Amino acid sequence: MSIAAPGASAHSIIPAAGRTAQARSVLLAVPATLLVAAILGLPLVLLFRYSLNQYDRYDLMREALTLDNYVAIFRDAFFRNVLLRTILVAAISTAVALALALPVAYFIARAPARFKSALIILVVFPLLVGNLVRAAGWMAVMGNRGFVNQLLLGLGLIDEPLEILYTPTAVVIGIIAVVLPFMTLTLQSVLEQIDPSLEEAAGNLGARPFTAFRRVVLPLAMPGVIAGTVLVFILCMNAYATPVLLGGPRFHMMAPQVYEQITGQSNWPFGGALAFILMGTTLALTIASTQLMQKSYARRAL
Amino acid sequence: MADARKLQLTRRAFGSGAGALASSAALGIGRARAQPATCVVGTWGGDYQNLLDANIVKPLLEPKGVNVQWDVAAQGPRKNKLMAERRLPRGTLDIACLSDVDMYDISLSGALDTLDESKVPNLKNAVAALRHAYAVPHIYSGMVLVYNPAHAQPNAYADLWDEKYRGKVGLVDLLFTQILIVATVAAGGTPSDFEPGKKKLMELKKLGVRVLPSNEAMAQALQSGEVWITPMWRARCVQWQNAGIPVANVAPAEGAIPILFEFGVPKNAPDKEGAYAFLNASLEPAAQIGFAQKMGYAPTVANAQLPPEQAQKLTFSAAEQAKLVKTDYDYVAKEYQNLKQWWDREFLA
Repeated sequence: MSIAAPGASAHSIIPAAGRTAQARSVLLAVPATLLVAAILGLPLVLLFRYSLNQYDRYDLMREALTLDNYVAIFRDAFFRNVLLRTILVAAISTAVALALALPVAYFIARAPARFKSALIILVVFPLLVGNLVRAAGWMAVMGNRGFVNQLLLGLGLIDEPLEILYTPTAVVIGIIAVVLPFMTLTLQSVLEQIDPSLEEAAGNLGARPFTAFRRVVLPLAMPGVIAGTVLVFILCMNAYATPVLLGGPRFHMMAPQVYEQITGQSNWPFGGALAFILMGTTLALTIASTQLMQKSYARRAL
Repeated sequence: MADARKLQLTRRAFGSGAGALASSAALGIGRARAQPATCVVGTWGGDYQNLLDANIVKPLLEPKGVNVQWDVAAQGPRKNKLMAERRLPRGTLDIACLSDVDMYDISLSGALDTLDESKVPNLKNAVAALRHAYAVPHIYSGMVLVYNPAHAQPNAYADLWDEKYRGKVGLVDLLFTQILIVATVAAGGTPSDFEPGKKKLMELKKLGVRVLPSNEAMAQALQSGEVWITPMWRARCVQWQNAGIPVANVAPAEGAIPILFEFGVPKNAPDKEGAYAFLNASLEPAAQIGFAQKMGYAPTVANAQLPPEQAQKLTFSAAEQAKLVKTDYDYVAKEYQNLKQWWDREFLA
């Protein structure tokens, strides 16, 4: 775009024009940035402010600046257990989703071009149906008279229906089903970028296919593994519909507890504090695990 | 150039249009000026909303020019909305539909009008025992024992603790307040102190009681034989019978616990005229009979006569009515958080 005038040095003219263009582009981005920041930030600021208030039964809250709600949550064994259970369920679900999605994503990435679109559509397909509907589908599969029990009873493998619905196992299965497409698509997009000739080179040097995958493909796919893990872990930590519908009344996770405090108990400050503890824990664990994975693979690369 | 001009014009038009829209929204123009008042009814969705529309709005209000809009949500969010809006000069709801326990709780917050009975002439026909100063009784039922007659023949709430029903008694999590009353009266206590009921429920836990999350889950459990007996609304039993689930019901010897669904008018309702028209229409015999026949809840007005067979199925006889165990609303409202905490942490743990 900019052409240096004859006689003028490129050093003095281009940077000045560049600076103006850069400043203009920054200015143009300001309204959208402010809007996005407001949409994302304002509800959080508001909820954080609420979390510092005191509970009032009919006014919902009284203005205050106190950390009492946070202290009460950490002192309460019930909520500590709910938080630990949430972390455990999220960690297991993320790990299983990663293990299941990796081969599928690799298969799609290496599939012939004419099948690839169809395979990706198949992976995306469950996302077209809401979480709630999918959880309802799992209820039909896992119930005492559901598909699994009918099949096992029909085959004579069991005499009494198995208790699957309203158990932690049901929740983990349901959550994995929800997050699997996100993990698969994230991994597939990164695996797609890895040149197959690298695997062929590893094969030529005597590596078996699994060794080539483990030593060549996987390290190169680490950005995708990290991105997919982070995305899926966050989704698992915040799962709502699946634990409510498949966990039953005895199984508690954080997101349903936030909802219960805000709408059931009308305790907005406590609900706000719970939400921020959930967010803080998710953020801390996400950052810690990302750094751990990066360091671990950086060491191996050396 | 032409394209650029066109684009500029569009942007300007968009800008001015958006500005006008924003300012009219900020000034509250639109609803107030352009159209006649609209009565906003905060209610559950699904069948209940459809029946309100089919039995009250379409036949009784629309001909009078009363326009109704629905604000559909579960009762928790709607309760919060009423409390959050109660200090505003102008709220967003004209009618609040809630169960009796929740309506009493909201009335304590001061969000509801004391009803002007002169504007609800049909209120004179309402059963006196179901009337409150802050709400109109819409429909009612009672917590009876719903059972599978092939396996169980209970007569009293206390039969839930019978060893022969071990592992076959079911409870619905959402009904925990009423279940605490069931256990309390089975233990010989009064509905004003649930402590005997808590001890009694811990005994039921040892007998392998099944706690299910919803009425729908309970219907499936009764159908499959997973549960033989459960305390449940008589209206719900009628719905299940109509759906082919093999269940019967009996009013317990201790007396059934009534459930009442009511309509209240927030103090800051924008369309009180519409709200009172709605209240009066809801008590019309035809509307009450429509609800009874479709939902299985008993009418709350004396002049709504059901066919004898239906009346016997849905309503409570004079002897049963005399024994109804009334909920102590004040006790439940004050103790709600403690009761919920006990239920979640002790009983369900």
